[in-house]
Amino acid sequence: MSNPLDDPDDDWWNTPVHRRESIWLGLAGAWSLGIFTWMAGFTQFGDQNPIGTTYEVDPDQYQERVGEYKEAAEETDDGLIPPGDDVYVGAMRFNWDGLPAVLEAGREYDIHLGAYDVQHGFSVRPEENLNKQINLQVFPGSEWVIPMTFDEPGTYHVVCNEFCGQGHRTMHGRFTVVEG
Amino acid sequence: MSAIASLFRNDYGSDGFRTCSVTGLDIHRSVENYVKLFGLTAVIALAVGGSFAFSVAMTRWEFVGLLDPSSYYTHLSIHAWNLLIFWMVFMEIAVLYVGGPMVLGRKLPLRRLATLGWVTMVAGAIGVNASIWLAEAPNEAPLLTAYVPLPVTPWFYGTAILFLLGATIAAVPFFATIWTATRDSSRTLPLVAFGAFVTGIIAVEAILGGIAAFAYALAWRIDLIASVDPGIYRQLYWIVGHGTQQINLLAMITVWYFLTHVVGGAVVISEKVSRTAFILYLFFINLGAAHHLLVDPGMSAGWRIWNTSYAFYGAAFASMIHAFAIPAGIEAGRRRRGQGGGLFGWLTSAPWRNPVFASTIFSIILFGFLGGITGVVMGQVQVNMTWHNTLATVGHFHATVALGTTLAFFGLVLFVIKTMFRRDYVSDTLASAIPYAYGAAMSVATLMLMYAGILYGVPRRTAEAVRNIPGSEFSFSAAIPIFMIFGVFALLAILSGVLFVGVSVGSLLFGGRLPAGDDGGMLPEGGLHADGGEPIHAVELRGTFALCLIFLGVFAAVYVLNWYLLTQLWAIGA
Repeated sequence: MSNPLDDPDDDWWNTPVHRRESIWLGLAGAWSLGIFTWMAGFTQFGDQNPIGTTYEVDPDQYQERVGEYKEAAEETDDGLIPPGDDVYVGAMRFNWDGLPAVLEAGREYDIHLGAYDVQHGFSVRPEENLNKQINLQVFPGSEWVIPMTFDEPGTYHVVCNEFCGQGHRTMHGRFTVVEG
Repeated sequence: MSAIASLFRNDYGSDGFRTCSVTGLDIHRSVENYVKLFGLTAVIALAVGGSFAFSVAMTRWEFVGLLDPSSYYTHLSIHAWNLLIFWMVFMEIAVLYVGGPMVLGRKLPLRRLATLGWVTMVAGAIGVNASIWLAEAPNEAPLLTAYVPLPVTPWFYGTAILFLLGATIAAVPFFATIWTATRDSSRTLPLVAFGAFVTGIIAVEAILGGIAAFAYALAWRIDLIASVDPGIYRQLYWIVGHGTQQINLLAMITVWYFLTHVVGGAVVISEKVSRTAFILYLFFINLGAAHHLLVDPGMSAGWRIWNTSYAFYGAAFASMIHAFAIPAGIEAGRRRRGQGGGLFGWLTSAPWRNPVFASTIFSIILFGFLGGITGVVMGQVQVNMTWHNTLATVGHFHATVALGTTLAFFGLVLFVIKTMFRRDYVSDTLASAIPYAYGAAMSVATLMLMYAGILYGVPRRTAEAVRNIPGSEFSFSAAIPIFMIFGVFALLAILSGVLFVGVSVGSLLFGGRLPAGDDGGMLPEGGLHADGGEPIHAVELRGTFALCLIFLGVFAAVYVLNWYLLTQLWAIGA
């Protein structure tokens, strides 16, 4: 045993490790490998992964694409019904372009996320259960396509959770999920 | 003026050295004075950043709703920069000077560089504060991150670079000390010096990343380059954004080894294991910068998994090593002195009235249980979807920095008041109360932030959301009770911070001068080096082992709970 303010003995490397510390090293090492394996494995067998396809896109071009999508979508009182399985969301100061939207429960949609100006945060939860929520970063210059399947009907609220300017807190959108 | 000058006076011999009555170290005037200088500057930054904690917390507590959004983000930026960066980095330069020349019993070399570094850092810190305070539309408050392409004044990026350059300059005398102490010999540095050395390397890596990030953004703001890529900026930025927090971690752990030894009688139970843990940090901890990019577009899953896990959790493993080694060092040291039998007698008989000891122990426990566990859990790629940019993240880094590092540094400042300024506390009772009051209040406030984020999804970085989202029927009003608790305990934590600054400054100005040779009540019972001499295997470490098993149990429970919440979500991702 030595103290941390003096040079250790010459044979410090060969001093045996205490048995209980050795056991702890084993436990901590096993735990580390265990949680690594679970995380890596979950990308293969899990249903919730922040993994999609990203395309580089000029912000103006992305805005045009969202515009075309809105033209093609059907307008209702609750929001846009997408023409197919693709749903476009354009984040801008201080609005979610393309929202509100009406989706069907149990149907897999490709959600396209992009921004027109600065970074935003796409943060979604069902109205009646706030602890079910996800958060994804949105960039200008990137179009991120992430599949999502809402399994329960209801109203899902979208807020911006990346600071985007003075009006940041007013940025609110909505998905209405109806029975498929 | 004379009051300030007297702070820098001590009884040195004709060669400028004196022997510390607590640590037994040979201390040169030059080292001591610069440690005092950087430490005092850090406390000023703490007072500034802590004042803004009041307005920030009282705005997020929407029951009070102190500030409008127009000033909230400005206050939040100043709070973040002064506490996360200035308070920490000024202290860390002091820690480097303690861990290098002071522990090695040398003069501080290149003192002009140390002065230049300090002046540059102060100029940078004042500049960053001024640029935030004076920013005008269309420029926005930078917060901590100044994410492009949100417009932030170029003065901010310029002065932030200045501060980072200053910190680099101030670190040079430390590296020069290590160089001269080791070049002619095959000596092995003391563990504290070794820890400080690894801290210094991590710091330089972080600073280089920061200079690259801010220079890139500055070049765009002054039209040297036409466009800026948010993804590239984020990668560069988080080298410093997360890297500075890794400096905090390593400096804190170095301080843990130092203070548990000096005031608690701890020993090093295995040089090999503890040093290996520092080496693991050296290789892997900076990969943790990826924690901030887990839900960004464009990153491959493999890149995220490899980096967020610090390569198979190499750095988390290192932290778990220290989590055993440091309490085990206390247990071994105290059991050898016959202080405490049973499972936890070594702990219950410890000097709990000494605020230096209590601060250090609370720092270890609260960092581990609240900060470390949540950091690893939220750093899992999938779980991060439920933590990212919610108040739970803010809870996490208040647990690591506001509880862990800040409490360790409180302990260090209170130690320096006795041992370097040679002053008695103005009130022993008030001094003893600091770690208890601050640790308890800040823990509750931190837990409430985590609950608000994880159980209610309340976003961070917004002036209001819980009681009202303008223009929307929706709000997070279900979280109102959480914020009623948060607000009260945030106020108590701030008051405890005021107590710390009050006791520190009061002791410096009005505390009685300690007579030469007096240890000021710092030394553990039986002195610093109690004789015993048994090998480590003769000492029981079952108390520490039991504590670590509890830790692992809590870790597993928090892990399972977070994954359970995640798997309740709708299907997301390919």
